[in-house]
Amino acid sequence: MSTTTQTSPAPTRSAAAARHGLTFGGVLRSEWIKLWSLMSTRILILLTLVATIGVGVLTAWVRYNILDSMVAGAREQGIEPSSDMLEQSMPPGSGLDLYNLPNAGLQVGILIFGALAVLFMASEYATGMIRSTMSAVPRRTPAFLAKAIILAVVSYVITTVAGAVTFLLSLPMFQGLGVDLSWSTDGVIYSVFTGGLYVAGVALIGLSLGTLLRNSAGGITVLVGIFFVIPIASGFASLVPGDFWKYVPQYIPSEAGGRFLAIGEIDAYIDPWQGGLIFLGYVLLFLVPALLVLKKRDV
Amino acid sequence: MIEAHDLTKTYGSKTAVGGVSFTVRAGQVTGFLGPNGAGKSTTMRMIMGLDRPTSGSVTVNGLPYAQHKAPLHEVGALLDAKAVHTSRSAYNHLLAMAATHGIAKSRVREVIEMTGLDAVARKKAGGFSLGMGQRLGIAAALLGDPQTLILDEPVNGLDPEGVLWVRNLVRYLASQGKTVFLSSHLMSEMAQTADHLVVIGRGRIIADAPVKDIIAGTRQTRTLVRTGESHQLSALLAGNGVTVDQSEPETLTVTGLEPRRIAKLALDNGVLIYELTPQVSSLEDAYFDLTKDEVEYHSHLTGGPAAAVPATAGK
Repeated sequence: MSTTTQTSPAPTRSAAAARHGLTFGGVLRSEWIKLWSLMSTRILILLTLVATIGVGVLTAWVRYNILDSMVAGAREQGIEPSSDMLEQSMPPGSGLDLYNLPNAGLQVGILIFGALAVLFMASEYATGMIRSTMSAVPRRTPAFLAKAIILAVVSYVITTVAGAVTFLLSLPMFQGLGVDLSWSTDGVIYSVFTGGLYVAGVALIGLSLGTLLRNSAGGITVLVGIFFVIPIASGFASLVPGDFWKYVPQYIPSEAGGRFLAIGEIDAYIDPWQGGLIFLGYVLLFLVPALLVLKKRDV
Repeated sequence: MIEAHDLTKTYGSKTAVGGVSFTVRAGQVTGFLGPNGAGKSTTMRMIMGLDRPTSGSVTVNGLPYAQHKAPLHEVGALLDAKAVHTSRSAYNHLLAMAATHGIAKSRVREVIEMTGLDAVARKKAGGFSLGMGQRLGIAAALLGDPQTLILDEPVNGLDPEGVLWVRNLVRYLASQGKTVFLSSHLMSEMAQTADHLVVIGRGRIIADAPVKDIIAGTRQTRTLVRTGESHQLSALLAGNGVTVDQSEPETLTVTGLEPRRIAKLALDNGVLIYELTPQVSSLEDAYFDLTKDEVEYHSHLTGGPAAAVPATAGK
């Protein structure tokens, strides 16, 4: 490697020009540069957008097929199904709702943005970058908050765009069936704008896990445990005799967060806004200890 | 100006740094010297607020590092050449660091040029050699044109040209009135670069004085003696505070006795000497002398008198 080094040092030419000092805006810009200057991150985010839409449209197509066979069945019996009849055959929570199609591919975003958030912090520990970061921002909290804001905004925007595009692409399928589905259908706009909040929350939990564990593999494993394994385990809880265990699963992070995305009330079930608050509580449950530990621990 | 007061860092029962106090002044290069594990890096990390002192305090330009409004303009540090994300290019790494303080892109390009990184600036830092990594670390330290520079083993892995460049750079910065605190295990490098030395061993300050005083303070003269009858001569010389080391056949290093008296003793006993060379006291000697004291001091504490004094022939 040939490197020509100036043997006569002249280090202080333009540096003293304008000194702004350390600002939160600067830290935000720094974290933004960090996120986008990694090729892997750019590819991952683009992939998330495509995959979320892809899985969403696929899910829409599955629901279309189910509805289509129901309509065909009705017609065989000589009944021309009305829009009302179709809606009644798809009760809320049956998995056949159409208003929540914008969030049909959400699981992809949860997994990838959650993992990305873990990496955003844990990779700094793995590479030693954290020492550069904490030298530039020795109070530490601003660096963490900047990472949190950038992750939340990016995951919100990408998820929201993906949701809107998913719905836009799915819409033509259902118009042939005589289903009354449009942007003004109850819950559609709500779904478009809340899906990203849920994914942003997952990303914040991921960031906190990356901070607490300082390890990518460990952080991602715990994240997958929370959002993909606990829901399965909680399914078994409802098999336990007695009423109590039937009501527990709705309070786990993924159920409470998922409930926040739904509309309407369900008997013996938390309301969407309650689900949202519970999920927010979970986010803070990870975020606050992560911030405290980051502030105290040697790097 | 860096001021450490009774700075202590313990990990469980192990003391990495045990109550060190020192002052690093502006306008000169202060060397931080000590064997591996002596506590140099830990001390430097505590100055930068990366490690929390168990007790004691350290300030830079009058304030703890974290309380400065523009930390990168106060202190530039090269603590660990690997404090870089391996998948990010050198340019983007510096750009992200600069962004926190609103430092212009032109300054980023300037430090890249200064450190000779132009050719590799757009490449992933993970593929850098040790020397390139050091240059990137130095570039990051210079980014804010800081008043104080802390460099942990800056010449480690650099080619001779790079070593010379670092030496000139730190001398130039000190001449501009900046505070330069530099650790190195290369004592010859320290002799050429530093004005003042802080020597640390086992987490304690052993010496804190100008380089020339430390060299002058080496108490005992050493003499290289070549003789065919080395065993006989060793037996004659040893004792009364005189130490004789045999490094190779027919070669003795005698400490604590003047050349003239060695020659007289040899002549009186009929031992032929074919070389007698006084060893010029160097920083290296001074350093070994200092750290040897440290070893003796500890052996006294643990109640093993003289057991840890190395290579003494007889008592």
